[in-house]
Formats: sequence, C-alpha cells, structure tokens
Amino acid sequence: MKKNLTLALFLGIVSALAGLVIGLFNGVTEPIITANAIAAEQANMEKLFPGGEFSLIDYSDPDKNVLSIYEAKGEGYLVKAQATGYNTSTPIIVLIAFDQEGKTIGIEALQQQETNGFGAGCFERDFLDSTYVGRTSTDTIDALSGATKTSNAMRRILSAAFTAVEEVKD
Amino acid sequence: MWKNFKNGFIKENPVFGLYLGMCSSLAISTSLNNAIGMGACVTLVLLFSNILVSLIRKITPDEIRIPVYIVIIATLVTIVEMLVHAFAPGLYDSLGVFLGLVVVNCIILGRAEAFASKNDVLSSAVDGIGMGLGYTFAIVLISVVREFFATGAITFVNPFNSSQLIFKLGSDALEPVTIGLFSQPVGAFLVFACFAALFTVLRENAKKKESAK
Repeated sequence: MKKNLTLALFLGIVSALAGLVIGLFNGVTEPIITANAIAAEQANMEKLFPGGEFSLIDYSDPDKNVLSIYEAKGEGYLVKAQATGYNTSTPIIVLIAFDQEGKTIGIEALQQQETNGFGAGCFERDFLDSTYVGRTSTDTIDALSGATKTSNAMRRILSAAFTAVEEVKD
Repeated sequence: MWKNFKNGFIKENPVFGLYLGMCSSLAISTSLNNAIGMGACVTLVLLFSNILVSLIRKITPDEIRIPVYIVIIATLVTIVEMLVHAFAPGLYDSLGVFLGLVVVNCIILGRAEAFASKNDVLSSAVDGIGMGLGYTFAIVLISVVREFFATGAITFVNPFNSSQLIFKLGSDALEPVTIGLFSQPVGAFLVFACFAALFTVLRENAKKKESAK
C-alpha cells in the first residue's frame, strides 16, 4: 500500500512538473502563433478593411462553420467561415466583413471549387456584392438558380457568421 | 564515447540498422526540407529525453519507469511542437500530424529504455545526439532520392522564413521526365528497401573484415 502511494506520488510530481514546463512554453509561443495566423490572413483582410488593425477573438462554433473571427479595431468584424456545397471534397471558405452593427459590408471567397457555370456563379464579383453585402441577420438571402447546394452552403455560412458576430459584438 | 556517437550512423543506424522510427521516416521523407526539419525535432527531443531520463534514473521506481518516460517525452514533443508552430510555421504545416507523433517514435522510448536509464548523463546525451543525427542522416538520404526523382530538383528553403530559397540543385529541364511515384508511399518503400540493403552490405563487410583480422 505504502509502495503504491509512493509510486502514485512520483508519477504525480513528474506530471505536475511537465504541466508547469508546458505552461511556461505555451505562454511564450502562444502570442507568436496568433500573430502568425493573423499575418497569414492579412492580405485577404486588407481587401475588406484597408489599413485595419486586427486582433483575433476567441470563439468556437459548435457546428464548425465559423473558423475564426477577427476584430478590426473601430471598424467592425471579420468572420472566416466554411461550409460544404456541391463539391463535397473541397469546402467553400469565405471571409465576410461586418460593420459594428452586424451588417455585412464586404465578402471575399478564399476557397471554392464549385461547378463552373452553376455553383461557381455564386462567387462572381457582382453576385457576391449584390447578394451578400448590405445584409443583416433578419434579411432573406437570395439563391442562385441552378445552384441550390452552393446557395444553401452560402446561407449556412452567412447564418453562422451572423450568429457569431451577434455573440461577440456585445 | 566517440564510438557511441558513431554507432548511430551505420552500425546501429536507428532506421536502417535497428528498423525503428520507420513510420515517420517513410511518411515525411518527401522533401529535403521536411527531412531536415523532422530530423532536427527528433534529435532535440532525443537529446533532452536522454538527459532527463538519465538524470532521474536512480530515483525512478522501476515499476513505473515507462509511464515516467512517456510523460517526459510527451512534454518535450509538445514543447518542440509549440516552438516549431511559432517560429517555423511553414515546417509546422508540412510536417502536420507527424510532428506530434514523435511522441510514439520508438527510437526515443527505445533509447530511453535501452541506454539512458542505465548510463550516465554525458554518455546518454552523446548517444541521443548520435542516434538523432543517425535518424536525420537516414531520412535525408531517402528524401534526397525521392525529391529528386519526383520533382527533378532538390530544394532547400529557410525553415524560419519559407519565402527565402537557400539552394536548388537540379534543373527545370528535368521536369517532363519526373516520376511521380517517388512522392507516393510506394516510392518511400522502394527507396527505403534499397538503402536498407546497402546498409546491411556495409555492416556485413565490416564484420567480415573484423573477423579476418
């Protein structure tokens, strides 16, 4: 019995020390890792908020649609979100800009491989700007005819993004 | 001491001699960059795990030595992973899950159990570096062959700044005759088998010479 307790104690001490050391290193590397993540996204974010000052907001979406949220200081929010459309192997990833009231003010497609002539039409500049920009969470969002799956994916992205922005702006 | 260090390269090369750590050496040896990055991570972890295991070898109760080693190794790997993520993000992306899997790389636990737990700190450290470099040497060999045949050139970019190209050996003219197979797992097995055979021949020859003396 006494032997077992010593063993447990020894392992406990080793684990506690290990946790402590990892914590220390995490404290050093964490800010650099987030700064890198923002830097990688910087070029895309600049398109929506030129010259903005960005910081990462902690948010996790249970449905995994929202990938990350950034605050553009004094200007609004940026949501990077994904959903699967017609192409099930490559999800659609878009970056959406919101003003401080939660209205969409810009959108950029980061990744999509929907069918040309059908779903890909959702990502043409005119369609993006006329359909997804200037919307609030209560507006209905039009679908592109012939591209139901892609349109639905975009709606899921938008609704997840609205929910996320509502949550972080208060 | 020098013999310990040298052992790791040919006679007891962890990959071609002891056949340890093969999972990662087959998986990430697609490019020289990955191989050197992975080799450096494994060497670092191996060095520090050997030192720590050797330091506490007298106070570690025998019954729980393996869990203790695992905790030490996992801690070191987590630290290395965080450092790589912070300072070499390009490498972090290309190594992916295999960086975290260094925890279960049997070279590390193997050396902790077979060497560091029985020897003093200095020789354990030397053994760690020797074995680590032996592993690096092995995956660099595999990766050079694979990268050359699969892309027609061997490139090395600065791991801390992926936009800075350090060197590129080979020519774009070779691009039409590259063999894509070599970037696939099959290519890894083929190259691995050839090197393993070569190393066995080298070892056998060395043994014959010794017995002839």
